[in-house]
This record gives sequence, structure tokens and C-alpha cells, in this order.
Amino acid sequence: MSRTLSPISVPYRVVERGGSIVFTAVILSSGASRAFGPVGGLVGVALVGLALLALIGYEVTYYRRFEYDLGADTLDIRSGVISRRNREIPIRRIQNVDISRNVVQRFLDIAVVDFETAGGSETEASLRFVDFEEAKRLQREIGRLKRGGDETGDDEREPPATEELFALSPRELALVGALSFDVRIPGLLFVLVSGSLPAVSSVIPMEGSVIVLALGLVGVALAVLLVAWLAGAAAAVLNYYDFRLTQVEDELQYERGLLRRYDGSIPLDKVQTLTVVDDPLKRYFGYASLRIETAGYAPGSGESGSEAAVPLASRDRVLALANRIESFGTPAFQRPPKRVRRRYAVRYLLVLGALTAVLYGVDAVTADALPWPPYSPVPLALLAPVAAHLKWRHRGYWLGEHHLVTRNGFLRRRIKVVPYYRIQTVIDSRTVFQRRWNVATVTADTAGSLSLVGSDAAAVDVADADADDLRVTLATRLRESLAARRGWVDGAVDVRGADTNDVDDADVDDADVDDADVDDADA
Amino acid sequence: MNRLHPRIRVVWAGQATITATVLGLVAFAVSRLALSLPVWIPLAVFLVAFGGGVGLSLLRYRVWRYEIREDALYLERGVFTRVRTVVPFVRIQHVDSSRGPLERLIGLASTVVYTAGSRGADVAVPGLTPDGADDLRERLKRLAIRAEGEDAV
Repeated sequence: MSRTLSPISVPYRVVERGGSIVFTAVILSSGASRAFGPVGGLVGVALVGLALLALIGYEVTYYRRFEYDLGADTLDIRSGVISRRNREIPIRRIQNVDISRNVVQRFLDIAVVDFETAGGSETEASLRFVDFEEAKRLQREIGRLKRGGDETGDDEREPPATEELFALSPRELALVGALSFDVRIPGLLFVLVSGSLPAVSSVIPMEGSVIVLALGLVGVALAVLLVAWLAGAAAAVLNYYDFRLTQVEDELQYERGLLRRYDGSIPLDKVQTLTVVDDPLKRYFGYASLRIETAGYAPGSGESGSEAAVPLASRDRVLALANRIESFGTPAFQRPPKRVRRRYAVRYLLVLGALTAVLYGVDAVTADALPWPPYSPVPLALLAPVAAHLKWRHRGYWLGEHHLVTRNGFLRRRIKVVPYYRIQTVIDSRTVFQRRWNVATVTADTAGSLSLVGSDAAAVDVADADADDLRVTLATRLRESLAARRGWVDGAVDVRGADTNDVDDADVDDADVDDADVDDADA
Repeated sequence: MNRLHPRIRVVWAGQATITATVLGLVAFAVSRLALSLPVWIPLAVFLVAFGGGVGLSLLRYRVWRYEIREDALYLERGVFTRVRTVVPFVRIQHVDSSRGPLERLIGLASTVVYTAGSRGADVAVPGLTPDGADDLRERLKRLAIRAEGEDAV
């Protein structure tokens, strides 16, 4: 049975697109009337009227000629006014069904539905706009069909097991906002303020003393800091207002947002990596966040490819939730060898040295135009050993029974959990400097698109021999875990006989060759 | 462990020469138009880039190795950063054999292995004879299919 978009989508789209047309038209027509007199103005208005009529006609036709069909195996969408497009998306390829509504859309009870598939870098298909009820129905139905339901049975089976895992309390929401500012900003501001002091003092006539001016600058800096922080906090609060995470059988569904409300899903069997993120401030208060990375694009989130499963909660709760999704247990991290601290200290000292050299150079060229003396980075050298130790302390990896867990970073610490069967390639790399210190970095590449940004699960700066072992071990465990999972598939199918339930470990990679073959073999 | 065909050094040296020429021309343009540098600067830039590039090509050839192991394709490469990559057969999506323009001139080819990973998405083995590249492609394809199917039934 073919369905179509909500009728309200026609006026909504007309208004959405018409707004800009009317705006330009008003400008043009006022210009025309000035140039050509009242006749020009009338002609302008007439043209605008025609354009609007054409737009309305187009949108009505689009709505009339739009059809979609949710079958047992595919989602068919037929659309287009001038060039027709017929799109069939296999249900199994659909990874997420995401619903979003802004304020107006919520008032009109319509929504945008986006269908995401694995491995794409943009939305596969999108319905603008359907009734919210219909959107939820689509989300439910596609979830049910993916779980192996058939076309007919509506409520013959029990409703899927739903459990609310997490809801962001107002206090936690406030904390999300409060803790959302970047730890590096105060340092940057200090540099800017101290740097601009002499410049400003030479411009503004000094009636008071330098101290007053300095205080004034500090006041301005604090005001800027406050505004930036409030803006960040407001954005975070708007984004995560009334955040809820629910588990529906093998899928996580989340809702969030105040102005623009998102109803999204994270299919558990597509999870590539779990990341527990924190920073020194969060750690001090005992909080952390959880992000889930799936293969493919995830709309409506800050970092593409990953969704915040838990924006902020107490650390224990985050770890418990993470374990629910992938039960990795409690990691016992193995740190890099201690000599690596010297490596980091040397690195920081070299950076400071280079900075000092640059400052001396600039000083020589511009003849004392710098506000700070050129040797000013030197005192920071005292911090180098401390920073090196901290960096080393928060680094490590752990080979769990079914997962690789890595930990990296001090200011932005990420604990990444990768199930062995999600590992794609294993990359061992050693730079010139690492070879000197006899350490190496082993990276487990996964299909999640977040890895492109560089925050892969990596055991950084491990001893040479350990790296060699790790490389071999990861490849072996990958193979073993894949074989084990295939064993489960066979076992499940054998037990259920002719049931066509396919355990969908279908990743981007595993060609689902064998389900049909296995069924034939059994029947 | 297999090494690449020695003629790949010519391909890499060729690429280095092109880069060196471009850099030399840029230095020449800069010395003519912007700063006034001594006449020998562009030539020096070209020579340094050329020498460095050729040296790098030779070193790269010495490091590059690949091997088909029991469950994975193993690659070793890189002069400044030594990278060892393990591509399990079960993760291979598809395999291409390809020939770029320089490679065609020299009579060589490469085999490119695609996985679903983001960092190691396509892994290329250059410096193979055209037949060798096709053979490697077929071999990897068969190994990938076998790895896929062997535990399923």
C-alpha cells in the first residue's frame, strides 16, 4: 500500500522556499519601481506573484507525485516532478531511521525522516515531511522488519522489549552545560591579555596606573570567557534537553533536543567502537560521557559517525551502560614503558625550544616589537616533566576476553572499546623517533567513520616486542571471534529449523552470502 | 617475504624528479618576481629535491616487502615511519589491479586491496609486473572468498 507525505508538507515547503523568493522579490521590485516608475513596480509585483504561483504549483505536484512503499524487503520511494526517481532501498541496508522536528514542525505535528545506511557519507533517503505518527510507525516497522518480522503480523507478536536505560536529569543537563567549555581557553586568553597589555597601554592615555589598565583588560577577558562559556552551555543544553536512551531489543533509541528534536536509533549490531570520554574537570567531579560509533554517517550529532549515548553521567553509571552494550568487564590497563616519559619530556622541551627560537628570531627582525621577552616560554620547561608524566599515566591498552580497550589523552581522555570482530586492519607504525626509543604504535582500524579524524583505538608507544605480539594477537583474536560468531549463526539456525531468522551480524564487510545457503541446507 | 620489482625505483625517482622540477620552478619564480635571490638558488633547490627524492626512492625500495601469510596479507614499508600492516583476508572487500601512466610507461602495475576500514581503506602493493599484479589479485580474491565461506556451513 503506497503512502505519501503529509499534506501539510505542501504549505510548509512553500513557506520554507517562498520566503527567500519573496524577500529577493521585494528588494528587486522596489529597485525596479525606483528605476522604471510605478509601472516597473507593478511588473515586479506581477513577476513575484507568478513566481509564487509556480512554486505552489511545483510543490503541489511534488506532493501528488510522491509515493513510498514499505515492503517486507525493500523501501520504495518514487518521487520527482520533472525528473522521476525510483529508489529501492533494501531494509537490511537501513541502519538508522532518524526523525527530527524543529519547533514549527512540532507544532504542526510533522517530521523529517532520514534513512541512513552503512558506509554512506550522506543520508540515503529522506522524507520531508510526514506526520509524526507515521514517522514513528516507519521507525517501528523498519526496526521490526530488520529483526526478522514478516510483512503481515502487526501485533501478533508481543511488542518489542523496551527498557529505558538512561534519562538525563535536569541536574545532569545543567552539568552538561556547565562542563562544556574547553579547558584550553583560559590559557589562550591569558596569553592574549598579557600580550595586548603593552599595545593597549600605548594607545589609551594612562590616567590611572598600569594596574588599573591591566585589571580592565583582565575584566574584558573574563567577560569574553563568560560569554563563550554561556554560549557553549546554551548550545549543549539545547542539544541534550530531555535526553532519553531506551533499548528496544537490539537497538538503542535516543531522543534529545529542545528546539530541534531528534528521535534516532543506534543499531547495536552495527556498533564499531564505544568511547568513554572525559576531561580533568569531569574526572574531578566523577563524571564521564559515552559515545558510540557505528559504520556510516550519523546525522544531527557534533562529530559525524558517533552518537552520544550518554552525554554526561557519573562514571560508574557510564561504565555500567557501556558494559551493557559490550560487556568488556573492568580493564586493567598496561602502560607504556617508563622511558616513554622521557620521550614526551624531550618532545615538550624541544617544542618550547623551537618556540623560544622563533620568538628570538621575531624579536631580532622586528626589533623589540614583542610584548613578551623572547625567553618567556623557558619557565614553562618546569612543567614539561609533569606534563610528560601525566600523559604517560593516562595511556595504556588492555586485551580483554572479547575486546581491545585503549586509553589515551590527559586533557581529553578517551577510553576506546573495540570488539575483536570489528577490527579491520592492524597497523603497526614506528616513526624515526619511536625507533630510537624502541617503541611502536599499534592501531586497530575499524569501519567507523570517526576514525578518519584520527582518534582510532591505538596502543601508543608500546615496547617493540609487545607491539609485535600485539599485532599477531589482534589478528588471531579477530579470526577466532569471527569464527565463534559464525558458530552462533549456525547454531541459531539449526535450533530454529526452517525459521528464516538471520542473525544480522551483517557489517559493511561480511557479504551475507551464506544465510540463503544455510537455510537451503537445513530445509 | 616478497620484494617489489626493481624498476619501481625508476617510477618513484620519476615522481621525485617531477616534484623537484616543480619546486625548482617555484623557487625560480620567487627569485625573479618576489625576493631577489642569488641565481644558483633555484638550481640548488632542484638538485636538493632531486637528490633527496632519488635517495628516498632507493631506500623505499629496500624497505618495501609483502607476504601472503596464513590468514592475512602482510606489508612492510616506509622510510621515516616504518609501517607494518596486517590485512586479514576475511576483511578484504575487493581487489583491483591498476596501472598509472608512469607505471604503464615502465611496464609495471599495482594491486590495490580494499577493506571497510577508514584508515587502512585501500592498501596498494606497487611495483608488480602486470601479470604478477593480476595473479596477486586473483590469489587474494580466492583467499578472501575462502576465508569468508569456510566457517559458514
